[in-house]
Amino acid sequence: MDIVMSSTLITIIAFLLLLWLLNKYAFGPLFGVMEKRRELIKEQMNAAETSRNAAEASMAEQKAALDEARKEAYAILEQARATSSKQADEIVTSAKNEAARLKDEALKDIESEKNKAISALRTEVGGISVQIASKIIEKQVDEKSQEEIVNKYLKEVGSK
Amino acid sequence: MHLFPIVEFMGIRFDLSAIIAIVVTSIIVLVLARLSVRNLSVENPSKMQNFMEWIIEFVHSTIASTMPFEKAKKFVSLGMTIIVFIFVGNLLGLPFQIVTEATTEIEWLGITQAVLDSHDGHAHIAWWKSPTADLSVTAGLALVVFIIVHSLGLKWNKKHYLKHYFEPYPIFFPINLIETLAKPLTLALRLYANILAGEILITTILMLGGWGVPFMMVWQGFSIFVGAIQAFLFTILTMVYISQAAVHEDDPALSH
Repeated sequence: MDIVMSSTLITIIAFLLLLWLLNKYAFGPLFGVMEKRRELIKEQMNAAETSRNAAEASMAEQKAALDEARKEAYAILEQARATSSKQADEIVTSAKNEAARLKDEALKDIESEKNKAISALRTEVGGISVQIASKIIEKQVDEKSQEEIVNKYLKEVGSK
Repeated sequence: MHLFPIVEFMGIRFDLSAIIAIVVTSIIVLVLARLSVRNLSVENPSKMQNFMEWIIEFVHSTIASTMPFEKAKKFVSLGMTIIVFIFVGNLLGLPFQIVTEATTEIEWLGITQAVLDSHDGHAHIAWWKSPTADLSVTAGLALVVFIIVHSLGLKWNKKHYLKHYFEPYPIFFPINLIETLAKPLTLALRLYANILAGEILITTILMLGGWGVPFMMVWQGFSIFVGAIQAFLFTILTMVYISQAAVHEDDPALSH
């Protein structure tokens, strides 16, 4: 195999030309794209990091809000329970008072009716006694003095 | 053994088959590269673009350890050109051969009566071969690498570059010189010998006729593998030489 110097020279020229052409038309743009992609990935990673942080923050916020709402609901429930039991007590108390009042009134009525009946009976008994006495004694006494005497006796009887 | 069509023009000998091979290889590489960057996309790269980027990453990883990307960029381009050119060149001679037979004198192809006589009147002229199966071509590639490496050595750290010829003692200068010259020589010879051996064996298997088909299949497959390995080897050695030239004195881990 003999060495042909022109081939060597042509190789060098062709290679350098190829290198230049590839660099200009193929690898240059390709490097640019790869660089761009690297930047894009970096950017996206940063964006992902940011959105993750934001998501975490909003998650914590929501959790806090939920806790607060739960606490509030518990408080409202407690309050409602307290109010209802108080109201129930009030109703019971007022009912009791009402009942006591009614009972007292009834007792009072009974008492006054009794007294009325007693006094009416007394008057009746007085009249009847006067008639009986006038008939028995046959002595004409005016009704007024008679009644005084009877009342006097009746009192004596009543106090016994 | 085939002859190659060598013509003399203005007193310079031109190997037509080598020129054809170089031009064809260059065109294929150029077309491949253009195709792969036809629809460049940042977010949705095509298969070709992905493949090209994979090669770039691969070549870059061979020098990335010694150089930052901005500085390494042009060497990645160099390595890419070397690896693609050599790989395509290695495969060029595999699929077919174009051989013409000359039985009479063809003056302009250098087929004289003496040449015919030495080949029993049948001179086979091979027009098609791998460019890398020609020592002249691989020598050209190695020369490019040699010049780049040494000019970089002189440019980046002149003092250390000149000093390393006289290390560890000045008496080692001849040995260092031989080592320096051996690098491109082995680079060229290794590639040339591997690819030429493949082509010679293909020619030999062709002589077997029909019985040679299974051997041919196996050998073609292996030749693709060898072609890839040699392209890889040439590239990685180039990158190693370049990174050696970039060694600084204040970096004891890398100096040798």
